[in-house]
Amino acid sequence: MNQAVISCLHANLPAVEAVLKDIELQGITNITCLGDLVGYGPQPNEVIELIKEKKIATCQGCWDEDVVDGLDACDCSYPSQIAERRGHFAHQWTTEKLTKENKDFLANLPYSIRKDKCLFVHGSPNSQHEYLLPDMDAFAALERVENAKAEILFCGHTHQPYIRELANGSIAVKVKNSGSKDIQKKEMNLPMRRIVNAGSVGEPRHGGTKATYVVYNDITNDVKIREVEYDIELTCKAIINAGLPPIFAWRLKNGFEFAERAEDASHVCER
Amino acid sequence: MSQTWIISGPPGCGKTSWILNTFKNHSGNCGYVRLGGYSEINLEQAINSKIDFAFLKDQIPNLLDLSSSKLPLEVEKENILIIIEFPQFFIPKFQGISGIDLRVIKELEIYNLQPNKYLHFGRDLELPIKDTLDFKAIESCSIDLKKNIWDPASLNTFWFELVNGAYGDVYRAKALMNLPDGRYILFNWILTQKGSQYQTLNQVAPLNGRPERHSEIVIQGKNLNFQLIKSTINNCLLSDAVLEHHQATLRNSQLQTSRN
Amino acid sequence: MIERWALISGLKGDLDTYELIQKDLKKTPGNITLFVLGDMIGPEKNCNKLLHRLINPKSNDLQPWCIYGWWEEQILLESGYRGNQRAEALRINKGEEVVKSLINAVDKSFLDWIAALQFGFVELDCGLIHGSSKDVGDDLTLDTPPLTLLDRLTRLQVNRLFTARSTQQFHLELTEGILNSEVHDLTGNHKKEQKVPQKAVIGVGAGKNYTLYDVGTDNTQFVRAGYQSEKKKNGFGLHF
Ligand SMILES: [Zn+2]
Ligand SMILES: [Zn+2]
Repeated sequence: MNQAVISCLHANLPAVEAVLKDIELQGITNITCLGDLVGYGPQPNEVIELIKEKKIATCQGCWDEDVVDGLDACDCSYPSQIAERRGHFAHQWTTEKLTKENKDFLANLPYSIRKDKCLFVHGSPNSQHEYLLPDMDAFAALERVENAKAEILFCGHTHQPYIRELANGSIAVKVKNSGSKDIQKKEMNLPMRRIVNAGSVGEPRHGGTKATYVVYNDITNDVKIREVEYDIELTCKAIINAGLPPIFAWRLKNGFEFAERAEDASHVCER
Repeated sequence: MSQTWIISGPPGCGKTSWILNTFKNHSGNCGYVRLGGYSEINLEQAINSKIDFAFLKDQIPNLLDLSSSKLPLEVEKENILIIIEFPQFFIPKFQGISGIDLRVIKELEIYNLQPNKYLHFGRDLELPIKDTLDFKAIESCSIDLKKNIWDPASLNTFWFELVNGAYGDVYRAKALMNLPDGRYILFNWILTQKGSQYQTLNQVAPLNGRPERHSEIVIQGKNLNFQLIKSTINNCLLSDAVLEHHQATLRNSQLQTSRN
Repeated sequence: MIERWALISGLKGDLDTYELIQKDLKKTPGNITLFVLGDMIGPEKNCNKLLHRLINPKSNDLQPWCIYGWWEEQILLESGYRGNQRAEALRINKGEEVVKSLINAVDKSFLDWIAALQFGFVELDCGLIHGSSKDVGDDLTLDTPPLTLLDRLTRLQVNRLFTARSTQQFHLELTEGILNSEVHDLTGNHKKEQKVPQKAVIGVGAGKNYTLYDVGTDNTQFVRAGYQSEKKKNGFGLHF
């Protein structure tokens, strides 16, 4: 059966509506959301209410966590000082706009959702703030899936959609200096695992302007990336009217979100 | 024998790099003067930026700055090549020396300089020809960045936004900037040429505090939102505390590598 | 002269053991750098004398290069150096008494020095750390899945990881690794075969058990303080 996985809606209502419509047109009713319902965009309450209304299973994203807990998450998750300042501004704006009810909703979202062999998280099983980029070290990527005891790991947070298959792996180890005469050697085969990044509905960073999400068929194991057009002008106007930094509208309109993406794939704050 | 040349042309035509090459090929002393140019009707003149001199001086450390109205010593005059750089948008009416704007000749009397050669970009074939812009109703602004230090990643973001039109249509942007690791870099971007030109200069500032050297950004274009440019730049510059943190980390890593 | 590292950890205030190791190292040939991979303090003993000695080495001591360990992290947590967090994990697992003993074992005047200690050192292509770069309490042993070990090496971008948290002494080499990665995104398909160059994880031991590492030959020697002379026959001492 086909199921849809969406992520990083970022308070962009026109994009969310367009994607949900695209999902509906395919007759898909099973939808999982990987968080970041809010942040950057101008319609945080509206997006949360739509997700609640549609009863979409959702995990907590980095923005959802920060809006609730305060900016406890480390600043090093921002790629630059300017990104951090703008992020803090958007954070402040969002916290002020969100209703108490909607904040509570975000606060009570789970870190992860497990369905059979699939694990759904926002960033990685380690943290909502860890980026699993497509070119991340293959062994480290496999470790994330293996450690989470999943076969397919669905994540978001990077805003770049991709499907990564890790297969035909093996590792050989040797115990040196063990005291015993014979050298102990071991070789083990690694299991085949997949990481699926759902991209972003509300703030795509793939170089284009279209919203992205993925469709997974749990019978054929097939995963498809979908691109959906939406009324960007509408969102841009709302950003300006809301008094959010106009640069957010400029980036969205030009598909320049990629300029802001993280560079360090495995960076996790040590705090 | 000493020579005094005047070089003029519109902004972005490649004057400074041509001058640098000419100096490098000259075996004797080199002197340099940059004149500001004159405001024409409907044409806000390019600002007399010190970026060019700071850049040339970095590349040719014994370059003489003649605009400080200091005359060269008699010994320095021996086989000296003096180049006077001068922004001018239009092609001079007359060929050769007689094409020099009279106001320029007047201004040069202060420096006691008499040019014996005049070249204009776009007129004289001796100079390379580049697509230059039609500069009409151009806006420009210059921001003094002396003692300011950029967060490198923020600089990348800002420059990307600037040259891609986030703050209005930019025709030309040029900047000489400080980075926390002591680097001094030149950014140069012209609409008609592909991509930005980046160059790390030779000078390296010590890893403590803020360097005194010249730092500035000059932007020319249309419908520019200067307010937004300034506030964005402010958000890219490092505070004392953050700068000290960066520099302390760099100083420590230098110590660590020298330990073993 | 042979470049050699001495890696010690888990002294937990035991100045006698530290002196014994210093004495050993004076007899060990080569140009030795001494690394103390955390747990200089602990709840069992008063740690002030050892800390004082580490900060102010005697004139004939080898200079110790210290990083912080799990017990240092606990005291910093409990003393308010990590914001609102306290040493809750310790409190739950070992009880209030142990938390108190730890606080009493270290004079407050040492806390700033402890707080300024580094998380780890990267020397050449080696990472020296108490647990791992994932967590100071990361307990790496011979039984840790190789994939996890590889991940810890990758996080630090090193080929050899010296760890102390498990208190065990081991030298595990990851001799070969291969993994096929195929990424499909909006630009198409990208296939890559990734291989692991030889890497290793070394457990350095704790207390009297410490490790000597020969930088040139990549050989380890597991030593017990005070017994070093007996082990010389085993080859390590013959290098010079
Ligand atoms: Zn997001
Ligand atoms: Zn996120």
